[in-house]
Amino acid sequence: MFLTRSEYDRGVNTFSPEGRLFQVEYAIEAIKLGSTAIGIRTNEGVILAVEKRVTSPLLVADSIEKILEIDRHVACAMSGLTADSRTMIEHARVEAQNHTFAYEEPIPVESVTQAVCDLALRFGEGADGQESTMSRPFGVALLIAGVDERGPQLYNTDPSGTFWRYEAKAIGAGSEGAQTELQEQYHRDITMGEAEVLALKVLKQVMEEKLSNTNVQLARVTQETGYTIYTKDELQSVISRM
Amino acid sequence: MNRLAEQLAANDMAELGLHSNNGSSAVAGPSFQLAAGNNPAAFAHQFIDAKSEKNSLIKIAHGTTTLAFKFKDGVMVATDSRATAGNVIASQTVKKVIEINPYLLGTMAGGAADCSFWERVLGMECRLYELRNKKRISVAAASKMLANLVYRYKGMGLSMGTMVAGWDEKGPGLYYVDSEGQRISNDLFSVGSGSTFAYGILDSHYRYDMEIEEAKDVARRAIYHATHRDAYSGGIVRMYWVKETGWEAFPLEDVGELYYKYHPEIQLTNSVESPLAVASSA
Repeated sequence: MFLTRSEYDRGVNTFSPEGRLFQVEYAIEAIKLGSTAIGIRTNEGVILAVEKRVTSPLLVADSIEKILEIDRHVACAMSGLTADSRTMIEHARVEAQNHTFAYEEPIPVESVTQAVCDLALRFGEGADGQESTMSRPFGVALLIAGVDERGPQLYNTDPSGTFWRYEAKAIGAGSEGAQTELQEQYHRDITMGEAEVLALKVLKQVMEEKLSNTNVQLARVTQETGYTIYTKDELQSVISRM
Repeated sequence: MNRLAEQLAANDMAELGLHSNNGSSAVAGPSFQLAAGNNPAAFAHQFIDAKSEKNSLIKIAHGTTTLAFKFKDGVMVATDSRATAGNVIASQTVKKVIEINPYLLGTMAGGAADCSFWERVLGMECRLYELRNKKRISVAAASKMLANLVYRYKGMGLSMGTMVAGWDEKGPGLYYVDSEGQRISNDLFSVGSGSTFAYGILDSHYRYDMEIEEAKDVARRAIYHATHRDAYSGGIVRMYWVKETGWEAFPLEDVGELYYKYHPEIQLTNSVESPLAVASSA
């Protein structure tokens, strides 16, 4: 048997003899090409920060959206193939609304994350009676930030459909450096004010462009006000505190 | 109960395609009456008559007075709170105004469950619209969504006559939507068995340039007089005001107390002991 890696990376649902699914692993690799996104959990709420790659001066920076609202109390930052994330976000929003419709309560953050991960696995030919919408794994990783009765939470999902809960997490191209930095700087008593500065500081270190109020996006999710995206002015005031 | 069961068994079952589960075999023994499952809508129609209800075996909550009108500062929405099942008062504390979201209200007339369920569905769809398009849905779009939704079930027994009131980019919005699929926009509507009485008051007192206090008074009077004459309306008057910043609910007013306000001249003959006399002189 002369089975090289290339023969097992064709089928999306075929294990290699070493027990690996190459297409899923390649999808995880694809995320490492994406722009950096950072999430930091505090006791008051969660901060999300992403870098926007403004590749041309003619590009309208506002049209790049990498932080999106799922429901009032849950938001999501992404890295990887942004187009793939649209399917996932739509799914998450519908799941959140269906939960509220059925149970008259906001959906728990973990349940949204689980719903997204269920979708992440729905690729390939599709099992009996189950419609498959994707022929390949989703090439996107998400940072899902939210608040519920368990307090502020931050989750990370990847193309394999796995999710983890983090205190602070970085994904995307600069994730390795950023994660190390977060590990050094994060402490359990961090305030929202400190967290938003930390997020931008770490982002600044791993970004190629010079950080400004047009090439980053910042958002927070708190118990009181839910999801809020920072305006340019609010962003500028955080930058000035760096 | 027995009469109903007999009637069902003797007359309707055979015609409706009901059959016993041991089929045509000659084997004796206990048998069950099963509903014909292949056409539930047709089956249900034998028992429900959404129009007259006189001959229908199943009676759904129908009697109601609801009204809504646009005026210079927004939309007034007012309802009674009585639910009836046939000639029985099922509840005097029904909430016939459905809060779809902070800018949209729906009213309930016809089947209570149909209205509250479908307007909750509408609320969910409106929220998804907001998330997808990053702006609030217009009253026109929301009411159209509801009309399209119920039209898919036309002729299958849905019963609802609802007004969708709200505020959007164009200002105040008011639509009437019913289970027949009809959807119309106007400055003034009243729906339900008491609507004719309410229209009587509204048509003689309504003006577009009313202040809020006057608008409240007209709405309150219209509901009150409807509850006075229509046996299927009653309970409390519930009023909402939709303005630019969203809707605002007003305190509930018992129609029993409003009686003294609107009929101060009415006295009982033994006026010394009469509570009416005391209240009206106060």
